Amino acid sequence: MAELSLEHVGKTYPNGYEGVKDFNLQIADKEFIIFVGPSGCGKSTTLRMIAGLEDITSGTLKIDGRVVNDVEPKDRDIAMVFQNYALYPHMTVYDNMAFPLKLRKVDAAQIDKIVREAARILDLEKLLDRKPSALSGGQRQRVAMGRAIARQPKVFLMDEPLSNLDAKLRVQMRAEISKLHDRLGATIIYVTHDQTEAMTLGTRIVVMKDGVMQQVDTPSNLYSKPCNLFVAGFIGSPQMNFIDARVGEKGGKITLTFGANTITVPDAKAKALKPYVGKVVIAGIRPEDVVEEHEYAENKKLSEKIAATVTVYELLGSEAMIYGDVDGGQISAHLSATNPVRTGDRIQVAFDVDKLHVFDKETELAIVH
Amino acid sequence: MAKDAFGAKVKEKVNWPVTILLLIGLITIIFPLYMAVVIAFKDPSEMTNDIAGILSLPSSWSLDNFIEAIQVTDFFNSFLNSLIITVVAVVISVLVHSIAAYAIGRNMDSKKLFKWSYYFIVAGMYVPFAILMMPLVKQTAILHLDNMVGVMILYVVFYMPMNMMLYTGYLRNIPIALEEAARVDGASTWTTYWKVIFPLMKPMHATVAVLTGLAVWNDVMTPLVIMGGQGVNTLPLAQMSFQTAFSTNYNLAFASYLLAMLPMIIFYVFAQKQIINGVTNGAVK
Repeated sequence: MAELSLEHVGKTYPNGYEGVKDFNLQIADKEFIIFVGPSGCGKSTTLRMIAGLEDITSGTLKIDGRVVNDVEPKDRDIAMVFQNYALYPHMTVYDNMAFPLKLRKVDAAQIDKIVREAARILDLEKLLDRKPSALSGGQRQRVAMGRAIARQPKVFLMDEPLSNLDAKLRVQMRAEISKLHDRLGATIIYVTHDQTEAMTLGTRIVVMKDGVMQQVDTPSNLYSKPCNLFVAGFIGSPQMNFIDARVGEKGGKITLTFGANTITVPDAKAKALKPYVGKVVIAGIRPEDVVEEHEYAENKKLSEKIAATVTVYELLGSEAMIYGDVDGGQISAHLSATNPVRTGDRIQVAFDVDKLHVFDKETELAIVH
Repeated sequence: MAKDAFGAKVKEKVNWPVTILLLIGLITIIFPLYMAVVIAFKDPSEMTNDIAGILSLPSSWSLDNFIEAIQVTDFFNSFLNSLIITVVAVVISVLVHSIAAYAIGRNMDSKKLFKWSYYFIVAGMYVPFAILMMPLVKQTAILHLDNMVGVMILYVVFYMPMNMMLYTGYLRNIPIALEEAARVDGASTWTTYWKVIFPLMKPMHATVAVLTGLAVWNDVMTPLVIMGGQGVNTLPLAQMSFQTAFSTNYNLAFASYLLAMLPMIIFYVFAQKQIINGVTNGAVK
């Protein structure tokens, strides 16, 4: 398997549009790297540059220490799974999986062995004689995976491989891919716009926006310590609450004021906010860190109470979501399903201030988290 | 009467205006065909100058006219020539036009040279044969191509604009991701074409083969002007002889026409589905 290194990689299109800007990333052997971001953020372009389907305008790409900028895709020792699977419609499942091996002149007995092994891993043995048109979406997806596995590459590249599947199948295949990664011990680079896929699959996640890498970190760090407003908003569903608040100082304590509400920032986070006294910042708090009165817990460090009016109540089964108005902003919160709060209620909430994030309003960078 | 989903008989509505139009259309085809068949089987002595002499059924169905026509037109030789010209022209057209269309179709959006080559080739559709005829006679004579080889080459060129348009249009339905997958799998452009693109264009190969094949088989003008007077005939060319030497012997002429039609009718019977698919394919794309 392989290590990848992207140094100052950039992509500029002939019309001057910069698709990817100064992309730097070291990928270790056996890592499962996720590129995530909204449409048009350059994540697929980056993947295609790694695959060799797109020219690299600037910077260098190394696979196992070898610069491969100008190396043909077939000589990069990669396999790619496409969003629409790109199965050859006129070939059977077997031939689809054997195609890359035939091209590399592997002998027939060996091909047969590899293909059947890949088919066994993916539970495709009974489908080997079928054409792709006779397969369901999930089966096609597995064949596309099988073709990549049969190729036995150094690096697997996957371009939104699950986005054409229905929700249930997607969850199932997500688990399959995760198992596959453990089993093959392969280096995988995976592009998605689905942050659940990103959080559950990746060993590290690269968040991108407008061709610029925003943050690279483990899923848990990305969630608990987003480096800027974009990452904070993009990772997590429903997204983090953002409220414009003015930083104040009262009795040696740093406070945040929005509307008629003032909350005290814990000492651990106060220091970084000192220079911002008198300025407006963006306070961020995830819905699960907004606690409703009925659910106050001892172990949480709660802020002052904030009055809110519930505008929407959504029961999700095991839990519920509420959306409400507070003075100076809007807020969403997780509730337990047993909580009696309903639409229209006037309620009291408090923030778990240990989990409070504060962002600079101008640079949008995190000040504390 | 049709049956509905529960097996009960449902009266189908008849679209009378269309039915009548189709019937009239049918008569215009059936009537001349009937005449041709009837006359071909008649003895010349049965041909009188009144309508009955032309339209009545033969008193005895005889194959004499056919046998004589086969001898006079050297039918089997002409048939073989037609077959060779058609098969070679169709095969080369499918191979050359599809590969050219692949090169042009995949590049014309990004490269000007390919875009203008496409326009240049397709513009050929608007050049009438009559304009090209005399220069081509001269050129083929100078190049010693005033023979079957020349005719085949000309056909490949003549049908290139139409086939090019059909192929490039169809190519747009083949996702580029397939080619990218092939590239990653280790295929060169050449291998990608033969292993992936060429098999996927099969429906269009059928269309091109049928349209080009029918046009070449029935064409009389090109062989007439290019290899006329050399004693080498194609089937349609052989029919021309009746317009001079046998202008009075309709029986023989019609027998010969029917013979010339026969291969196409047999071909149609066997390849009916492909031909209809092919023609509609060509119409839509």
